[in-house]
Amino acid sequence: MSATPTTATACTCPECEANVPFARRPLQGEVVRCPDCSAELEVTALDPITLELAPEVQEDWGE
Amino acid sequence: MTATRTQTDARTITDAQATQLLVDLVSTPSLSMHEHACAALLTARMSALGLESFIDASGSAVGVRGDRSPDATEIVLLGHIDTVPGVVPVRMEGDVFYGRGSVDAKGPLAAFTIAAGRAALPPGVRVRVIGAVEEESATSKGARFAATNYRADACIIGEPSGVEGVTLGYKGRLIARLDLETDSSHSAGPEATAAELAFEVWSRVRAACEARTAGSNRIFDQVQTRLRSIHSDHDGLADRAVLTIGFRIPPGVLPTELEAICAEATSNIGARSNWHFVGHEVAHVADRSNVVVRALMGAIRSETSVGREQLPQHSPTPNPRLHRGGGFGMTPTPKLKTGTSDMNVIGPIWNCPIAAYGPGDSSLDHTPNEHIRISEYLASIRILTRAIEAIAGDLL
Repeated sequence: MSATPTTATACTCPECEANVPFARRPLQGEVVRCPDCSAELEVTALDPITLELAPEVQEDWGE
Repeated sequence: MTATRTQTDARTITDAQATQLLVDLVSTPSLSMHEHACAALLTARMSALGLESFIDASGSAVGVRGDRSPDATEIVLLGHIDTVPGVVPVRMEGDVFYGRGSVDAKGPLAAFTIAAGRAALPPGVRVRVIGAVEEESATSKGARFAATNYRADACIIGEPSGVEGVTLGYKGRLIARLDLETDSSHSAGPEATAAELAFEVWSRVRAACEARTAGSNRIFDQVQTRLRSIHSDHDGLADRAVLTIGFRIPPGVLPTELEAICAEATSNIGARSNWHFVGHEVAHVADRSNVVVRALMGAIRSETSVGREQLPQHSPTPNPRLHRGGGFGMTPTPKLKTGTSDMNVIGPIWNCPIAAYGPGDSSLDHTPNEHIRISEYLASIRILTRAIEAIAGDLL
């Protein structure tokens, strides 16, 4: 599931549909947090800006 | 200044050469503090692959390719060349290659070397591969030397994250040894033995550490304690006990806090005690949006040429949501590790974009069954090559 792009400096959270604003143009692959539901979101496209749920961080032991 | 190549066009490095480098490195023993023969082998191969190479003052193997001007952007690939003890017979069984260090961490180091030789570097960028010595000992001699004698605009640490994994951070570490002594007494009497007192100290330390990070759900965020050894003895005059405790330390907790917990645990124990602490490392976690992480994640997604049947069994099930663009790309997985690596040494000093990456299953580290899949190793080289090129393009 990906978000619906809105404007060049904002996007919709694919999890809760809240508005996710950007203070600057984001970077491809950048991970941001939804201000409403706190989901970690990855910028998967820039034109237009598109957000998808970021892969979850896994714990692992060892080096 | 334009990058130069000292030998044949390095981008023609074949998979057969890549595999031979791994085999030869693993076949050359390199216990911590005994790495010279392997470092000499690696520098010779680096030169043949188009890198300017040398052994630095710490004994680490170093290879450099690209723009040598002082202000060039520098991408450092820092692996380690030493291994833990234990002979794992070197052998190839189909796609699986066995040998000490195949995973931890000559696989990642060999992959770094080949990728550095293959990557297309624009003017103004150089890549430096370091095969650091003594990572497997508490000294981290090679990394400490590198931290103060080289610089980096971006860094990848060579440790086995798995071909689809990107390691964002490692916990810190502290090793504590307690020497405890009390006067001998009759075993039918009420006095506690040194062994009993030592165990009481261990219980106090463990309880205090659990309380320090109570409420943290992830193991990564907890102070982990491990009773590594306990010995006791008496000679008729004195009872003695020696206790060794290992700590794995989360972000936000300093080794000095744990030293204070230890001191408090023996403050009224009723015996003569002396603590000795070694291996101080602070946890280090990279920003998961940094250029190195983004480059590796993107390069993993675009890697399509290894079928899933060839991947280790621990690889996650493909997630269609993450396979963007309709291809059969790999699924990148960010990880936090409860161990330590040279990232703990380098990260706080260089303070540059950083992540750890390398082929291999880290659950095979230090085991008699250590092995790596050649198909995974070769895929990691393609991923690293693309990541180096993406980092170079992003930093310029």
